[in-house]
This record gives sequence, structure tokens and C-alpha cells, in this order.
Amino acid sequence: MLETVLNRRGKRPTGATPPEANAGAPAPGKTLCIARGLAAAGLHSALALQASRAMLRLAFIGLAAMFVGRMISGNASWLLLGAALVSLILGSVVGLVADRAVANTELEVANGLLGSVRRALAAALPGDIQVMPLGTLIAGLQRYPQAVAGLAVGHRLASTMLGLGPLLAATVIVAVSWEAALALVVLTPVMIVFFALIGGAIRSGADAQEKAFGRLAAQFADRIRTLPTILGNHGLNRERRKLAVRLDTYASGTMGVLRIAFLNAGIIDFFSSLSIAMLAVFLGLGHLKLISVPGFADLQLWQSLFILMIAPEYFAPFRRYAEQYHAKAEGLAAATALDTLVLAAHPQSPAFEATIVTRDLAGAASLLPRTGLVAITGPSGSGKSTLLRHLAGIGSAPSFEADFDTHPGIAWCSTDIYVPEGPLDAAIAWQNGPCCRTRLLLAAGNVGLLDDVLLPGGLDALIQAGGENLSGGQRVRIGLARALISGRAIFADEPTAKLDPGNAAMVRRALADAACSRLVLVATHDRSLAMLAGTTIDLGADNRQAREKVA
Amino acid sequence: MNGTASSIAAQTRIGPPQEPVRNRAPWRLALVLAFAALAGGILLTGVSVWFLGAVALAGLTPAALTFNFHVPAALIRLFALTRTAAKYGERVVGHRAALTDQVRRRSTLFAAMASAPSVRKAGWQLGNQDRLADYLDDVEDVDYARLRVSLPSATLGVAILLLVAATLLITPLAVVPILLLITANIVGACFLASRADADLAAMREGRQQASRLLGAAIQAVVPLQGERRWGLMLEAPFDGYANAQTRALVLRHRQALFDTLANCLAPCAMLSVLASAWLSGLRGEALLVPALLAFAWLAVGESVLGASKIVVAFAREKKARSTLAKWNTPDGVSRKHVPERISSLTLDRLPRHAPDGRLIGRPVSVTFRAGRPTVLHGPSGCGKTSLLKQIAGWLDVGDGCVLSDGIGCGVDARRAMSCFCPHDATVLADTVRENLFAPHASDDELWSALSTVELQDRIRAAGGLDGWITQDVLSLGEAQRLNLARAWLSNRPVVLLDEPTEHLDTEQGKRILDALLHRLRQRIVILSSHDELTPRGTAAVRLQ
Repeated sequence: MLETVLNRRGKRPTGATPPEANAGAPAPGKTLCIARGLAAAGLHSALALQASRAMLRLAFIGLAAMFVGRMISGNASWLLLGAALVSLILGSVVGLVADRAVANTELEVANGLLGSVRRALAAALPGDIQVMPLGTLIAGLQRYPQAVAGLAVGHRLASTMLGLGPLLAATVIVAVSWEAALALVVLTPVMIVFFALIGGAIRSGADAQEKAFGRLAAQFADRIRTLPTILGNHGLNRERRKLAVRLDTYASGTMGVLRIAFLNAGIIDFFSSLSIAMLAVFLGLGHLKLISVPGFADLQLWQSLFILMIAPEYFAPFRRYAEQYHAKAEGLAAATALDTLVLAAHPQSPAFEATIVTRDLAGAASLLPRTGLVAITGPSGSGKSTLLRHLAGIGSAPSFEADFDTHPGIAWCSTDIYVPEGPLDAAIAWQNGPCCRTRLLLAAGNVGLLDDVLLPGGLDALIQAGGENLSGGQRVRIGLARALISGRAIFADEPTAKLDPGNAAMVRRALADAACSRLVLVATHDRSLAMLAGTTIDLGADNRQAREKVA
Repeated sequence: MNGTASSIAAQTRIGPPQEPVRNRAPWRLALVLAFAALAGGILLTGVSVWFLGAVALAGLTPAALTFNFHVPAALIRLFALTRTAAKYGERVVGHRAALTDQVRRRSTLFAAMASAPSVRKAGWQLGNQDRLADYLDDVEDVDYARLRVSLPSATLGVAILLLVAATLLITPLAVVPILLLITANIVGACFLASRADADLAAMREGRQQASRLLGAAIQAVVPLQGERRWGLMLEAPFDGYANAQTRALVLRHRQALFDTLANCLAPCAMLSVLASAWLSGLRGEALLVPALLAFAWLAVGESVLGASKIVVAFAREKKARSTLAKWNTPDGVSRKHVPERISSLTLDRLPRHAPDGRLIGRPVSVTFRAGRPTVLHGPSGCGKTSLLKQIAGWLDVGDGCVLSDGIGCGVDARRAMSCFCPHDATVLADTVRENLFAPHASDDELWSALSTVELQDRIRAAGGLDGWITQDVLSLGEAQRLNLARAWLSNRPVVLLDEPTEHLDTEQGKRILDALLHRLRQRIVILSSHDELTPRGTAAVRLQ
């Protein structure tokens, strides 16, 4: 999905493309609905501000035209000049406030979207989170909310102003000559016919381009991503030549689409230039009394200047809207991406073993003793981890809070625990409140972390971001040291699987010691560990039968 | 079967990265068209106003009958057409020039990236989607800098200079407020550019920090949910994202302020010209030229819209260039002749280094022989992958500790003679054929490689050798098997396999590995494995 955005960006480097090119948008997804809801409040005031800015701009241009007209005719009115200056200043101030309002509203929308994503993530089951493409999700969270906000606020305003702006300009011209205003209004449908024609051409051109070269769209990114593989297989020179050819092919295809797409901006330019040229000549002939079209003849100089200068303002909103095309394409892609990534309702996937396990061992949770070592055993794939997660209450999101009261809290211990960046002592003390160094030393020593040759430095050993320099076994032992200090019940998933025999024995001993004062629940295939357990839940043969029954 | 292996192409030297030669001609044309468009716009408005004024004054007198309106009317039409056509031409030519530059730049950049040492170190950062997206943002900011910054600012600058000169000639008094405003704008632009620098850096930094936290939290989702800390752990990254957004808002507020200032320039210049013309005693027809100038200023104002975007694009480009420069510290690879076969490879007291340069364990001394594959065992974290990379010449190591057939070989030679299959090998978005990296192999050979790794049905379903595959299409296990097919097809004398059976089920992994080792039986094969995998006929080395 990110690729889509990047491609689109690559394809249309700057704005100024078609208003109609993406007309057939699909029904808005959840993201877009949320964004629109969030934007609603700010949109009204932003729209009011933009409309007043447009009016003040018209006032400035009109007053300046009047001043010039009067001045050339011989009587400069300083009042008009002053009024023009005032409307300029007011217009600038209102414009500034309007820009800030748009930016603020977009921020609110983006933050609101982030909030929804966060809530969705917080409520999601671990299974659903683990299948999310992590890199795409993270790259998306950095970019998508703003893109969607731009669509819901900036683009929305531009499309509203597309209706309002020309109307305002025409109304102002009516004050001087309704015939001139009518001429402009009559021109508009002609322009729109052109837009429709070109819009169709752009769409078909873009489709053809997608069909012919779609695969070459993100080749550069792909080759950068796969660089180590290319180097490992000695494919650099070949890939380099191929990349140059493909980039070239793709660029020429893109140029073909752009050539048509720019016609759209060209049409707006054409009509706006044409209106000035035609009006200037018509009004000029009227002044020379060579024609007598009502509304164009017998005007004062200030009146014809007024018409001439306001006319381009009639077309300005079209141009601004066309410039937003980019924001629209990006916003739509981002909204779709967020929908599929996070916000869409996932088909609930509580691992199907969980239901069986629950049915078969419904009482297991209540049978758990307050203290002692309990082992869950069974062949791999029999649902040991699933049962452990179930007993820990993972996935039963609704009862989160209630659960917390009955459970004094547990400490989890497995290879995928969270390890903060920094020294080892901080990683062990993480979320354990203030603890003295002696306790840390004791806990770390109990699991053999103080004299680990692969993690030298004792308690001061540095752990890199994401625990990159840690092995699975080291992570488990950090988790265990943390659990020992916490005093909570320990839930451990395969605590000895990734350890060498010496460390495994040390971990078994630590778990057995801890079990004297609290509940220690382990899911394990380590027989020596299971032997130490006071209670064993065996997920062997009977459970497999149960599974077959359900299947 | 391998005796006929073609001679091995050695890597060619990759020079230091250099800015590709610019294609100047299209840019020059784009610049000319941009000037023509702006001049057309200015003259269209200015001459129209002058024309209306002139005819209005003439209309009051008998001169109306003799007034030659054909010339100005024709000029106005000409300007209107020039403006439209030149604007279109500017867009097309400018984008074509930018795209041509982009193709050249990206080809060069790709080669430069390939020679960056970090590609071969542990964990290729740009293999991560989020880092890759940041990188692409930077590349794009530089790609379009000319189109977004140089072209508009050059056009605008020249137009303003010309108008200032004209103002100096016609209404010298008006130059004072105009220059004051221009100075204010320049100061504003400098301020915005410097703040944008800091803001953009802080935004990127904040987002990356938040992303690291979020990534770590998501990877630990099960333990965190078990400990009821999941909701809490999401707080920090999302606050980080929100802070970055706030920073972006600050930048946008500054942009809005600068835009307000920039948008005032043209209208104020217009009013100044008019007022000073009147004050200096010009009346009637003499006012027509100042009116033309005044409206020319107003027309320039149209192009000033979005001035802040130019400034921010400039700041982005600067930052992107410096970020990209960090990648480009090439290590030159020289041409090396590679023997087709090596019978033994000896490590002589090779000090073992982790990717971060830290020493691991004791130096190793071992001899690998062709026909006797060797498995490296040891707990995870003991440096198996690092040792393979040292042998492959991907990590620096004291030269002279690796001997092939008794002769010491340097980094370049080791890189050229080895095929290194990393355990996290990727799938290129390309055809199956290209993904196998064996341009000289026949179709039959490719198919037998695919059938050895039990992928033939999968590939046939995906469209055969010329079917297009991507990373998402293949599962982890399938990608790993494709990777083994690459090793099967490799013609290098030394083949290094990092965790070859990862993501494969035990039986299948054993079958494929046996077949692969049979195929490579005349080569030196070294594989690493964290479990106690020891295929028939292999030697084992245990790393501490």
C-alpha cells in the first residue's frame, strides 16, 4: 500500500493536474468517515475565513482598479487608495488566520486518526497484530494520517471554494455589468466540457500506463531493499543495467500521461488568459464607440478596469482546486491503506485451538494453585502456548480491567519480551519500580547474566535498540530476572528452549525456587523442567482427539 | 557436472559516487519557457490595462476615430497565447528534464549504495519498509529540487529584478517601499529556511524514535498483553507521533506567516507605484505607463503564491542531500581474477568480530575442504553469521588469516570467489528467471534447480520462469527455497549458506539440503545451523 502512495507520488511530481481524473472514487471507507467526522467542526470556520479572504481580495482588486481608473481620468481619490490598502491588510490578516485554521484542523484530524489507530491496536488480539506488516504499518503511521487529513480538510475546502469563488467573482462583476458576468458564466460549461474530455483521456492514459509499466513502478525502491541479496549473488552489474533501462522506460511512459494531464491546467490558463484578452478588446472597442454591445459600451474607465481585473479571479478557484489533485490522490490511497492495515474490522481469529483448549480445560484456570510450579506439556503444535496465553487472559480484551482485580498481575517470560535500549540493569528493572542494585545483581546472577561471555560487562552491558545484540536465550533470562524481582506470578513460554545446558539448569533452579512463594506456570517441552513441576497439564493425546472432533 | 562452469566474472570497480552529468539543454529550454510564460502573463495584464486607459482617454477626444487599436489588440491576443502555450511547455519540458535527471541520478545512486559498507554489515536497514520510505522521501526531495526550487525561484527572481529596474526608471520614489518589502521577504525566507531545517530534522527524529518504540512494542505484544502493559506501551510512540505532528504544525504556521508577507509584496508594490506616479505630478496619458507597471507587479504576485513551499522544498533538499551523503562512503572493489576451483580454504587464527567490531570468543583455526561440507554449530549469538560474513569478505578482518589453497586472500578476492546466501534473503520484484541470478544457465538447468528445492509446481502456477514474482507472493519458506535454488545454480568455488533450513519443515529441509550438497560436492560449502543439523558426510565445527 505504501508502494501505491510512493508510485503515485513518483508519477505526478507536482500538482496542477486534473480535477476530474479521479472522479469515480469508491465509497468512502472507515478511515475517511472518521476523518470527515473529525474535520466537520473546524471546516465551517475555515470555510468562512477562506470566503472572507476571497471577498477581501476581490475588494482590494476592485478598489485598486477603481483608483487607477479615476486617477487616469484625472481625479485620484485617496479615499479609494486607503480603502484598497485597508482591504489588502485585512485580507492578508484573514488569509493568515485562515491558513492557520486549515493547518490546525488538519492537525486535529491527523491526531484523531492516530487516536483511532491507537485504540484499534490497543483492542486488537495479538494474533491480528502479529500478522500486520510491521514495516508498512510503521511507515504508514508516519505519513497516512496527514495525507488523509489533507484530503478531508484542504481538498474539501478547495472543492467548496470551487463552487463559491467563481460565484463571488461573478456577483461582484454584476455590480458593474451583468452582461460581462453572464459572458463569464457562459464560458464555464465550455471549459467543463474540455475538462471532461481530457479527464477521460488522462484516465485511459493512466490505465494503459499502469497496464504496460505497472510492474516497473517501484523498481528503484525494490532494488535498494534487496541490495544485500543482489550482492550475495553477484548480480550487481546486471541489476544496474536492468534498472537503468527500466527506469528509463517507466519515465517515458509517465511523461506520456503527464503530457495529457498538463492539458488540464493548460485549459484553465487558456480560459483565464482568453477572458482577459477578449474583455480588453471588447471594452476597448466600447470606449472608442466602435461597438455598442450593451454592458461593454458606455462604461467609465474604472468600470472596464474593474471588469478586466476581477475576471481572472473567476478562474482562480479552478486552478487552486486542480492543484489539490495531488492531495486527493495521496489522501485516498492513504485512507485505503489505513483501512486495510488497522481500522478495518478483522475477522476475529482467536486461534481455533484456544476454543478447544478452553472447552476441554475450562477448569484449569480455577485449579491453578496460589504457589507452586505448574507445567503445560505436550508435543509441539498441541497448543501449549495457546493455553498459556489463554490462562493469562490474553485476547479476552473486554474483561481486561475486571481480570486485573482478581489477578494480582503476572510477569511474562519468553523470547519476545520487550527489552528497552540501555544498560542491562535498566532492562531488568524495567517497570519494576525503584530497586536496589543488590537485588538486581542477585536476580541477574541467578539466571547467569553476570558472567555471560556473549554479553560482557555485567549489569552495565549495553543493550542496543530493539535488543538487536541479544540472543533468544539472553532475552528469556532477562525476562526471568525481571520476573523474579517483580514478585508476581510467572508465566513462562519455553524458558529453557534456547539455552545451553548450563544456563538451562540455572533457569530451572531459579523457576523452582520462585515457585516456593508464588505461582510459576511454564509451557515447555523440557522434560527436566516438567519433572520439577508439582502439577502437570498434559496436552497430549486427548486434546488431539478433541481437535479432530471439532475439525 | 560442474566442470563446465563458465569462467567467473569478477566485480568491476565502482568509483566514488559522482553527481551525474546534468542534461543542461532541456533545463535551459524549461527556463526560457518559464520566462516566456511569466513575461506573457505580466504583459497581458499590463498591456491590457494600458490599452484600456489609452482608448478611454482617446475616446473623450476626436482622436478616437484615428486610434489604431489593431496593434495593441493583436499584442494582447499574442500575450494571452504565449502565456498559455509557454506555461504548458514549461510544465512538460521541466518534468521531462526532471525525469531524465531522476533516471540518471537513481542509476548512479544505486551503484553508490551498493558500494556502501553498511550493505554488507548486519541487518540491512533499508530492508525495513519504514526506513526505506524515509530514504525514498530523501531521494525524491533531491530528484525534484530543480523543478520545485531552482526553476521557480530563478524565474521569479529575474522578473522581480526587471520590475524593480523598470520601477526605478519610471517612478523612482516607489522603489523605497518596494526594496524595504523585498528585504523583509528575504529575511523572512532565510528565517523560514533555517527554522524549517530544525523542524524537519526534529520531525524525522521524533517519528523514527516513536517508530522504534512502536516496533519493539509490537514485537513484544504477547508478553505485554499478558502483563497488561500493552495499552500503556502504546502511549509513548503515539505521543511521539503526535509531537512530530505538532512540530509540523509549527512549521506550517511559520509558512503561513511567510506567505502572508510574500503575498503583500506585489500588491504593495502596485499601490506604491501608483501613488508615487500621482505624487510626482504625472497626469492623464503620462499615467498610462506607470499603470502598466503597477499591474505588471500585480501579475507577478500570482507567481509569488506558494513562496513558502519553495523555501521548504529548498530546506528539504539540503537536508536530504546531507542524509544521502552519509550512505556514500564507498569501499572500492578492484578487479580480481578468481580461480574456478579451490580445493581448500584455511582460517588461520582468524579473530572473530561481531558486526559492531566487538571481538567474539577466541580466534578460530580450521581448514575447509572441497567435497567435505562443514556445519558451524553454536548457540544463537555466538557469531555464526558473522564468521560466514568474514569468510565471504563482507566484514573486515585482519587480512592474511584466510588462505585459499595456501595463498592468503584479501577482502576483494573472498567476495569474488564466494556465493553468500544470507538467511534473510529477499525476493526481487522481477521474473523468476532474474530472481535466480544465473543469466548463463539454460532453462533446463533452472528447472532442475527449482525442482531440487521443490518449487517447480509453485513456479509453474505463478507463470513459469518468466512469471513475475514479488516478496509478498512467496511465503517465508518458499523464499528460503528460492534462495537455495540460487546457491544450487551458483558457479562460485565457495558457497556459504546461513541457516539453510530456516522456515522449512524438518523433513523437507533435510531432503533439499542433501540434494544441494550433492550438487555442490566439488565445492567448498560452509553452512551454519542453530539446531544440531548434521547431514551425511559433513564435518561439524562448534563455535563457543
